[in-house]
Amino acid sequence: MDSGSPSVPSMNGRQRVMAALRREPVDRTPVCNPTSVATVELMDLVDAPFPEANQQADLMARLAATGYTELGFDCIMPVFTIIQDSSALGCKIQWEQKDNWPTVKMREPIWETPDDIRIPPDFLTHRDTRCVLDAIKILKKEYGDEVAIIGKTMGPWSLGYHCMGVEPFLLMSLDDPGKTKLCLDRMKEATIQFGIAQVEAGADAITLPDHATGDLVSGEYYRRYLRELHIEFAEKIKIPIILHICGKTMDRMEYIAQTGMAAFHYDSKNEPRQSIDIVKDRISLVGNINNPETLFAKGPEEVRQEVVKNLDAGIQMVGPECAIPLQTAIENLKEIPLAVRDWTREQAAGN
Amino acid sequence: MGLTVDLGRRIELVPMDLHFHDISIGLYRREGVAALEVLVHSYSRREGARERLAFIAEAMTVLGGMEALPGEPLVVRFPSGSDLPVAAKRVFLEACKRSSGEEIVPRPLAIFDKKSQSQVQVASLGEGLYEVTLEAEGERAARRSAHIAGGIAKLSGAGLVDGHSAQVALPNRQSIDALVGLLLVRALNVRAIVREEEAAASRGVLSAPSAQNN
Repeated sequence: MDSGSPSVPSMNGRQRVMAALRREPVDRTPVCNPTSVATVELMDLVDAPFPEANQQADLMARLAATGYTELGFDCIMPVFTIIQDSSALGCKIQWEQKDNWPTVKMREPIWETPDDIRIPPDFLTHRDTRCVLDAIKILKKEYGDEVAIIGKTMGPWSLGYHCMGVEPFLLMSLDDPGKTKLCLDRMKEATIQFGIAQVEAGADAITLPDHATGDLVSGEYYRRYLRELHIEFAEKIKIPIILHICGKTMDRMEYIAQTGMAAFHYDSKNEPRQSIDIVKDRISLVGNINNPETLFAKGPEEVRQEVVKNLDAGIQMVGPECAIPLQTAIENLKEIPLAVRDWTREQAAGN
Repeated sequence: MGLTVDLGRRIELVPMDLHFHDISIGLYRREGVAALEVLVHSYSRREGARERLAFIAEAMTVLGGMEALPGEPLVVRFPSGSDLPVAAKRVFLEACKRSSGEEIVPRPLAIFDKKSQSQVQVASLGEGLYEVTLEAEGERAARRSAHIAGGIAKLSGAGLVDGHSAQVALPNRQSIDALVGLLLVRALNVRAIVREEEAAASRGVLSAPSAQNN
C-alpha cells in the first residue's frame, strides 16, 4: 500500500501510469520503464537469457515481468531491444550473447531508394515481431489488471538508420529532402502496423523510439521531417504513445510537445526543470535517471538523488533514461520505487 | 513477492561465467558489518550453481589469502579484517577464470618480467610491508620496481610507502603473501587491466543507432 497524495485514492500500477500519461492526478508518481530494465542477473533469476528472450515469447514475458515482480515498477515492458521490427523487415542482426545487445548490421543496408521500401507480407508473423505480440498477450493476461503493459514500435527515422544505414540516410536527408520524406512516409507504415498490432495484443501504451538524436540531428530537422509524422502516429495508434529520443533534446521539446503524443521519454542530458518548463502541460515527461554514470556505476544513494531531482521538478513518471546496461545492479533499480515512495511520504507529511 | 534479496552492495559482476553455463556471478559487500565481508552469489537456480560458487569462494581463499566465514562458505574476508575491496574484486575476477576442479595454488612472490628482461622479487618485510626488487640493477630497474609496486598498490587499493617508491603497505599491518603474489602478475601491465575493465564496462550498454559501429 502506497502512502501517497491524500487527495487521490490509492491506485494500482496500471491506473497510476495511465493517469500520468493523461497528466491526471495520481496517488504517487509512477515508476515507469518505457524501454528495458533487463539485466543479466534477472535473466538468470528466471532462466530467460538474451538472445533467446528476444526471440521466444514465453522467455520475453518472463524476463519482462521481473520489472514488476522484482523491481517494483508500475509497468512491464517486454520489448527490450530496438531491432525486432528491423529484423522482420529483413535487416541482418548481430544477435550477440547474453551479456550484450543485439544490433542491426547497418553496414549491410537492405534498402537504398524509396522504391526499395517494401513492408514484407510476413512482417507481423515474423519470429521477432510475433514474439513481441505473443509476449504482450501473455503479460496482459497475467498482469494486465495490476500494471501497465507497454509495447514498442520503432519510428521511421530509426528504421531509416537500420534499413538504409546511418550515413547514407543522413546524407540523403541533406541532399534530397523530398526523397527522404518519401522514404519516411513509406517506412512509417511499418511503425503503424506494428503499433496497432500491439494495441490489439493488449498493450496499454506504446513506446515509439525515433532516434533523431541530439548528437546528429537538430531541432529544426525534427520539425521539418518528423513532427507531422509523429502527429499522425498519435492519431492512428489509439493508445498513449511515449516518444523516446536519446541525447540533448531541449531544442526540439517544443515541437515534440505539439505532437499530441502522451509522453516524452527524455535523457539525463536534459535538466528536468527546464524540460518541464518547455513542454508545460502538453505532454508528460518520463525519465531521466542516468544510465552509464549513475545506475550502472554508482550506488543507491546517487540513484535516489536523481529520482528526487525529477520528483521535485514535477516530472510525471520516473524511470531510467533509456534501456539500462545489462550489468546494472538490482539494488540500484529497486532504489527507484523506494525513493519515490519515501519522497511521496515526506511530501504528504509536510502538507 | 520477489525472489531477489538484499545481499548488500554489489561490487563486481562476471556477467557470463565461461566455466558454468554462462551464469552471472556477483560479488556483494555485506553492509552493517565492521570489516570487509564479501559474498559470492548468483541468481541462477541451475543445478550445480551453488557448487560452482563454493569453488570460486574457495579459490579466493587460496589465490587471495582470504578466509571463509565460519558456517558461511560463500562469504570470505581478508585476515584481520583488512578493508581491501579493490583487491577483493581482483581476487574474485581471477577466481572466476578458473574452472571447477582445477587445482588452485597460490602465486609465488616472484615472476619474470619481459619488459625489463629481469626476474622480479617481492620481499615480505613483515607487518604488511612488501618491497619490489628486480634482479637487474640501475636506474631503469629502480624505475621499473617502483612501477610494479605502483601496480600492486593500484590493484589492491593499498598505499605506497612514503619515501620508498618500491614498497607497498597493506592495511592493518597484515601481510597477505598470496594476494600480493596474485596481484604481481597483473601489476606488470596495469594498462592491460584498465583496458580490460573499460571493455567490460562498455559491454551491455545500449547505444543509439547513430552511435553504433556496425
